[in-house]
Amino acid sequence: MENMKSHKTIHRSLRNLLVAMLAVLPAAVSAGPSGQAMSFTCAGCHGTDGSSVGPSMPAIAGMDPEVFVDAMKAYREDERNASIMNRIAKAYSDEQLKEMGWFFASQRLRLFPQPYDPVLAEQGARLHDEYCEKCHEKGGRPGDAGTLAGQWMPYLHYSMEDFLDGKRKWPRKMKRKVDAAIEEAGDKAIPALVNYYGSQQ
Amino acid sequence: MPRRIANIGIVSLLAALLGAIIVPVAAATATEPDEGLMIDHFDPETGKRIIPNERCLTCHGDKQHQTDVRDDGTPVEIFVHSEEIEASVHGSQKCTSCHVTIDRVPHRKAPAVIVGCIECHRETWEQHKDDPDDEYARLEVVNEQIDSYMKSVHAQPNTLDQSRTNATCYDCHEGHNVGELGSIQRAEHRLKNPEICGRCHEKELQDYSTSDHGKAVMEEGDSEAAVCSDCHTTHEIASPETDKAKLQITQNCGDCHEEAQRTYFKSYHGQVHRLGYTDAAKCHDCHGGHLVKSEDDPTSEIHASNRLENCRNCHEDANENFLSFWPHGDAHDREHYPGLWAFRVFMEILIFSVMGFFWIHVLLWLYREVMDRVQGKGFVEDLSQPDLVYFRRFPLVWRWIHFLFAIATMTLILTGTTLLFSHTAWAKAVVEFLGGIRMEGIIHRTAAIIWLSIFFIHLAIAISNIWRKRKTFEWFGSTSLVPNMKDLRDLRDMFKWFLGRGPRPEFGHWTYWQKFDYWAPFWGATVIGASGLILFMPDKTSLILPGWTFNIANLVHAEEALLAAIFLNSVHFFNVHFRPERFPMSTAIFTGVIPIDEFKHDHRLEYERLMESGELEKHLVQRPSRRVSLAASFITTVLIMAGLTLLTLVLFGLITLPS
Repeated sequence: MENMKSHKTIHRSLRNLLVAMLAVLPAAVSAGPSGQAMSFTCAGCHGTDGSSVGPSMPAIAGMDPEVFVDAMKAYREDERNASIMNRIAKAYSDEQLKEMGWFFASQRLRLFPQPYDPVLAEQGARLHDEYCEKCHEKGGRPGDAGTLAGQWMPYLHYSMEDFLDGKRKWPRKMKRKVDAAIEEAGDKAIPALVNYYGSQQ
Repeated sequence: MPRRIANIGIVSLLAALLGAIIVPVAAATATEPDEGLMIDHFDPETGKRIIPNERCLTCHGDKQHQTDVRDDGTPVEIFVHSEEIEASVHGSQKCTSCHVTIDRVPHRKAPAVIVGCIECHRETWEQHKDDPDDEYARLEVVNEQIDSYMKSVHAQPNTLDQSRTNATCYDCHEGHNVGELGSIQRAEHRLKNPEICGRCHEKELQDYSTSDHGKAVMEEGDSEAAVCSDCHTTHEIASPETDKAKLQITQNCGDCHEEAQRTYFKSYHGQVHRLGYTDAAKCHDCHGGHLVKSEDDPTSEIHASNRLENCRNCHEDANENFLSFWPHGDAHDREHYPGLWAFRVFMEILIFSVMGFFWIHVLLWLYREVMDRVQGKGFVEDLSQPDLVYFRRFPLVWRWIHFLFAIATMTLILTGTTLLFSHTAWAKAVVEFLGGIRMEGIIHRTAAIIWLSIFFIHLAIAISNIWRKRKTFEWFGSTSLVPNMKDLRDLRDMFKWFLGRGPRPEFGHWTYWQKFDYWAPFWGATVIGASGLILFMPDKTSLILPGWTFNIANLVHAEEALLAAIFLNSVHFFNVHFRPERFPMSTAIFTGVIPIDEFKHDHRLEYERLMESGELEKHLVQRPSRRVSLAASFITTVLIMAGLTLLTLVLFGLITLPS
């Protein structure tokens, strides 16, 4: 009798556990994965915390969360030239993008040393101050105009090519400023700026 | 040791020392906290973006690049003076507190300047209105101004573009440079006022700039001279075609031109204005609004060569005589208006002497009758034996004439004193009740015609009566109203009686005070009638009389009317109704009869004369019916109440008359 009773007790506990799980599970499902969990899928290219190790992949750690969301939405709507990001971005809702944005925003950006030309970097610093600093404030540190300081130089190069080739839409006023920089420094303008940003390590 | 090496050594040592000091500091600054965001433009608690003012001023505070181009290529001024903002009342505000639509920097799309001032000022005042200190006290005024603005023409939708108001806060206030009371910004703001209003009101600015006000402000930089808002008000701006604006502007002229306004309000023009009507001339009608200039300027509307044309704007038939009218004539200014001054002094001496004499007469009489009553003397009605026999004093025609005369006089007093006491609320209410100033004018003039007609009809009847009895009529006889020596003796004896030094005199058919009441309107009709006719028909009057007669007529008409209004409703009422022997009233003028006992008491000599001659019987009648008595009491009560009300209004007007 006692055994039976104990068996019954276990049975009841199991049942209770199942009921509890049934109750909790839908809630867990509807909550979906956290921003952090979703961001793990980005790690392959952008590094585990957004500080990418591949030179053509932009570092996204510590970036402005609204800039992140803008970029992802532009990929999702096929408004920005992409290799693969347009496909990836389509999987996320606005709310999920916001959560991911805040996950990356709260990471520290770790910079990796990259070789640069100090002469070009110095010229780039002057050009930046004249034409870029107002939007990309504090030498291009993370902000509402993206992250340029310490960014991977190859990525910066590709991005500028996309802008200049018309593959990516210029943000308001940027074309005028870039044109003015090119008018001043000629072909060296873009490499100079890229070297300047790359020099900030 | 080579010198160079030694140098290197010293430098190295110094560098090491320096390093020892700097490295910990450098390490401390280089190693930013691992926690927290790298981006510093977000509120860590709410996750909302914060745009600091410095971020805005990166572009908008750059003195080197004060203009930018819009997306369509047109240039746009983007510079703001950060020093101005910091020194202004809004110095501690964030740019985005007002520019609420700015959410990203750099702006992702062309930013629209959408700024609403009202909500913030209202909410802040609501939060702080009970604060013990007065840091936010000024917001009360701001909120009053907001209320005024919301009712103004500026807050109305623009007729060309209904999505916009005609003007909004920052169209006039430099949004970034709102100064505190008494600050330099405010003095500058005054001088800029015409220019700011002129951005929309170009024609007005052009006119204003040629005026005396405009020259003082715009050429001489005199911030005390009138700017637009001094006349038009700052926030309660009404469309210039409206009565509200016209009244407001005329009122506001007086803020600086106090003396001119005081004298204007004494004139008919000003009285009409003060009652709240725009029908008569206002400051800008004569002086020109934006073009106001001194009378020496040949282009001025009040220059001698332009003045008649100016009068003709309203008085179409005005002739040269109009030019001698004193629009700002001041009866207290002996130096400039000696004639007007003399008339005022004469009229005031007349008023004070007549009223002074009769009020003393009233008070002494009251004293005597009260004393007599206390001592059980005097005329007391015997209630156990009411009079059945009455004496007929007034035939029907005189009763009607008195009734109509009383009604017309009261109507004239009511409508006339609204002008004289246009400063009172009751005057404004009465005019509004009557249907406006023009209707009041019609009523006053109609009553005046009736009044004068009654006067002349009475004269005709009186003359024909005398004519019919011309063979037997005794000019100084007992039934004649012509004053005689006995009246003077009666007056002297009455004063003796008042003071207890003699018996009450015995009177004939008419007492001296009744004769005074009878003859006073002869003087009144002459003065009020003549001056009234002058004012009634200024265009016709000016054919024969100079313009300053309007000033004299206006003065004496008012003063004489005042005398009549106070005399009739106080002295006449006391003599006839309120003295203890008669209180509360005598209805004789409506029933035409008085009890025989009263006749015996008040007109003893006449009673005795009629008894002797055996004529008394002819004048005796039965007591009036109850219905006639009630009707007469009713009419008398209504008229007495109306008269006392008028007296109250007049005395209130006199007491509150602005000095």
